[in-house]
Amino acid sequence: MEPVIAAWHRLKALLRRRRLDRDLDDELAFHLAMREAESVRDGLSGDRARAYARRRFGNVTHFKEQSREMWMFPSFESFVSDVKLALRTLRRSPGFAGVAVLALALGIGGNTAIFSLVDAVRAHALPYKDPDRLVALWGNVMRARVERRGTSYPDYSDWRTQSRSFESMAAVDLQSITLVGDETERIPAEYVAASYFAVLGVEASRGRTFLDSEDVVAAPADVTVLSDGLWKRRFGADPGIVGRVITLCCGARSYTIVGVMPPGFKGITDRAELWVPFATYAPAPSMADRGSRGFAPIARLKPGVTMTAAQAELDAIAKQLERAYPATNEKRGVEVSALDVELVGALRPALLTLMVAVAFVLLIACANVANLMIARSEARRREIAVRAALGAGRGRLLRQLITESCVLTALGALVGLAVAHETVVLLVAQSPVTFPSFVTPELDSRVATFTIVVSLLCGILVGLAPGLQARAVDLNSALKDTARGSDSRRSHRLRGALVVAELAMAVVLLVGAGLMIRSVRNLVAIDPGFDPNNILAMRVTIPRSNVTAQDGAATAPPQPIIMGRALLDRIRALPGVSAATLGTDLPLDGGGAASFYAAEGMPATNAQNVPRGYVHRVSSEFFTVLRIPMIAGRTFAESEMTPTSSAIIVSDRVVKRFWPGQDPIGKRIKFGPATSVNPWMSIVGVVAEVKYRGLPDNPTADPDLYLPFGERNSQLALAIRGTVPPATLVAPVRMLIRSIDTTIPVYATASMDELIGSQTSQSRFTMWLMGIFALVALSLAVVGIYGVMSYLVSQRTREIGIRLALGASGGDILRLIVGNGARLIAAGITVGVALAFALQRLVTSLLFGVTAANGISVAAIGLLAAVALLACYVPAVRAARVDPLHALRYE
Amino acid sequence: MLILKTLSRGDQHGYAIAQFIQQASAEVLRVEEGALYPALHRLEVRGLLKAEWGASDNNRRAKFYRLTASGRRALEQESAFWDRVAGAVSRVMQMA
Repeated sequence: MEPVIAAWHRLKALLRRRRLDRDLDDELAFHLAMREAESVRDGLSGDRARAYARRRFGNVTHFKEQSREMWMFPSFESFVSDVKLALRTLRRSPGFAGVAVLALALGIGGNTAIFSLVDAVRAHALPYKDPDRLVALWGNVMRARVERRGTSYPDYSDWRTQSRSFESMAAVDLQSITLVGDETERIPAEYVAASYFAVLGVEASRGRTFLDSEDVVAAPADVTVLSDGLWKRRFGADPGIVGRVITLCCGARSYTIVGVMPPGFKGITDRAELWVPFATYAPAPSMADRGSRGFAPIARLKPGVTMTAAQAELDAIAKQLERAYPATNEKRGVEVSALDVELVGALRPALLTLMVAVAFVLLIACANVANLMIARSEARRREIAVRAALGAGRGRLLRQLITESCVLTALGALVGLAVAHETVVLLVAQSPVTFPSFVTPELDSRVATFTIVVSLLCGILVGLAPGLQARAVDLNSALKDTARGSDSRRSHRLRGALVVAELAMAVVLLVGAGLMIRSVRNLVAIDPGFDPNNILAMRVTIPRSNVTAQDGAATAPPQPIIMGRALLDRIRALPGVSAATLGTDLPLDGGGAASFYAAEGMPATNAQNVPRGYVHRVSSEFFTVLRIPMIAGRTFAESEMTPTSSAIIVSDRVVKRFWPGQDPIGKRIKFGPATSVNPWMSIVGVVAEVKYRGLPDNPTADPDLYLPFGERNSQLALAIRGTVPPATLVAPVRMLIRSIDTTIPVYATASMDELIGSQTSQSRFTMWLMGIFALVALSLAVVGIYGVMSYLVSQRTREIGIRLALGASGGDILRLIVGNGARLIAAGITVGVALAFALQRLVTSLLFGVTAANGISVAAIGLLAAVALLACYVPAVRAARVDPLHALRYE
Repeated sequence: MLILKTLSRGDQHGYAIAQFIQQASAEVLRVEEGALYPALHRLEVRGLLKAEWGASDNNRRAKFYRLTASGRRALEQESAFWDRVAGAVSRVMQMA
């Protein structure tokens, strides 16, 4: 109780300090006056009475001071005075303060920026209720290696009904849907189970989400939920939107709007603007196909159930299913994966690397400032000695120095914070990596705490160096010694060590940046297997006309309003277009699906390596327009361009697997098992492998199978090769298509180069930042070595003067100083290279085709060495020009 | 303890406390008078004393100290402790 009371009294006193002082003065004056008066009564004269009173009282100032201290928080108040002193000292040397604050601001600001990014991605990443209980469920396939795939509706239903680990589970898949209206457009839409919104814990802001009764495969309801963005953009935020009917999909199907989601909600894919019941995902027969691999559902774990437990339960269910349905479920498993890892996990290794890099930058900045502080504390030796002589304890002096450096780092942190926020927003906006829309780095309390802790740590670190120096001050010599020549060796060693550390860290960052640059160069240099230059990719969906065939026969299927190949002819006629082709999908555009196939006359294989290929339907000029080399045979003939043609073109891997060294033309394969009723297809041509599904390589080593484009597909992928930059072709092509029919949506337009660029975006993002950090590190390190060398020179002016007077030449002096610096540089580089090797594991996951061994670029280190040597050379030249007379009179 | 004891007889200002202790101890406990003040202030901060400004006998403004409830408790504890120690010491001295 008592300490609390005391603290409370002291706190109150803090606010009334002046009054307290006056009271104390009055109180003591009263005492003295009383004593004096009494002495006068006892017969002493005025002056002697006063002197007597004072003698009886003792040292007035001393007791006053002591009484006052009773009211103070001694450590706090001396801290305040330390801070004031520090600010005064810094104001007296604005140059030093400016450089130090700037270096620290760079370091701390960079750390704050990257940390707020890491924090946004890591901790509160998902904007859903209890995000740590959300998981994604993958239908794994054990082939040569385990492949992550989706699952089928029947498997999903079994998981859902048989498992006990989950509160709820929901199917979800992103597709695009045509919204017909004044402006027909393709809209990213999620097909979702009715439970989807409950799994995420999100409710409609208007109307409602789906009912279980609307999500029945046998009788799906035509209902839809809009995103807030779509509602505002397309429907003018109509308050009476619920109940309105809109037309979706190619066949004019009407959907009733039942709800609008809250602002910012775009589904787990972060792109959806529309939701429809999962029951409408595919026609009922396809939904019943247990062998399909369409989608990965999400689920919410029951409270207290771990991912491991859920995984074990689903493993058991998958085993049961495998026994019950061997034909479709052999070698099929389930993988439970945390949803936040799925959505933002890919960014983490890069951010972690950047965090380490930026921490290095901060360490270099600290070393630099510590160096400056040591230099200053050398100059302030006398001041410090005087303080020590006046009774300041060692601890008190150390605290003074650390307070001073903490004031510096706090200023640095302030400046750093100011720029960090802007920087990180810019970073997210400009980054080639697309951050999920909910990643909004903010300067919240966690980031602020981080910054404060970091700056305090830096302050202590920076203050400790000169503080330890001050410990060794020998009062006598420091007070007497006006000479600066004979200064301590310890200081030189410490400062040398700091410079070596700075250089070493700069080397690590340079090596890191070098690795990233090389890696990106390797990525860019990959031959994708086709020629992406000057190719514009886009997708269109050709609606079917509602009118069936003129004779009114009900069996005739609805016809596309324009044939894809007719569209191609019109596009080719546009100026600037040199060639155009179409297919169901293009390389790297994310389309395409795999099918099992069988080669004629080949023995049956087990489930782990059933032949599988990615199927694309393409027009006959596809290979020439994309410049995919034809290895054998020919492309499709005009007569083969029908949906039922038996001609097929395969990629080289098919031949290598089944008919190595034989003529593949005329060999036959079929989709599904060899025993199925599917027709055999004859190989008419063989093309080279293409990086169709990803760079640096396809995720799986499956071949591509090309079938003739038979006008059956309404979704077309166009590849247009221009004689002008692809971007300039977008507008004319759009105009042309609109002139044919306004209900044809054009979407996903991108140049092939952009598609390739998006494959390497993360590497480029990391490369950029690493590059920037490395440059900052390099310049800080160079400033550091320059500072040390010029300080060294100014310290040794007298020694140099003597050497010159004794006959040393300017060249000798130059060699002496540069040699000194070169030793530091060599040590720094050696340590740095060793460190880089030790740290290379951290970045290997981000690299493509480089290891630290071949990535340590001699050029980068050469650059560092050269710049650092230059930084030594300048002070060395100054030393060589020293006038011996002047130097000896230097004191 | 002496200060607390003095004040248990009634509120006093610093000078009077000093006078009283000197006289009561027959000038044995005569130290620098100034040393009284840090002690007074320490007791005030700890909440054992409360101070108020009032008029002295000769009508000058003076700071009067008063024992608080916790000050009274502290005095009881300390004087009991002192009695035990002093008694023990004097018994030892008599035996020797």
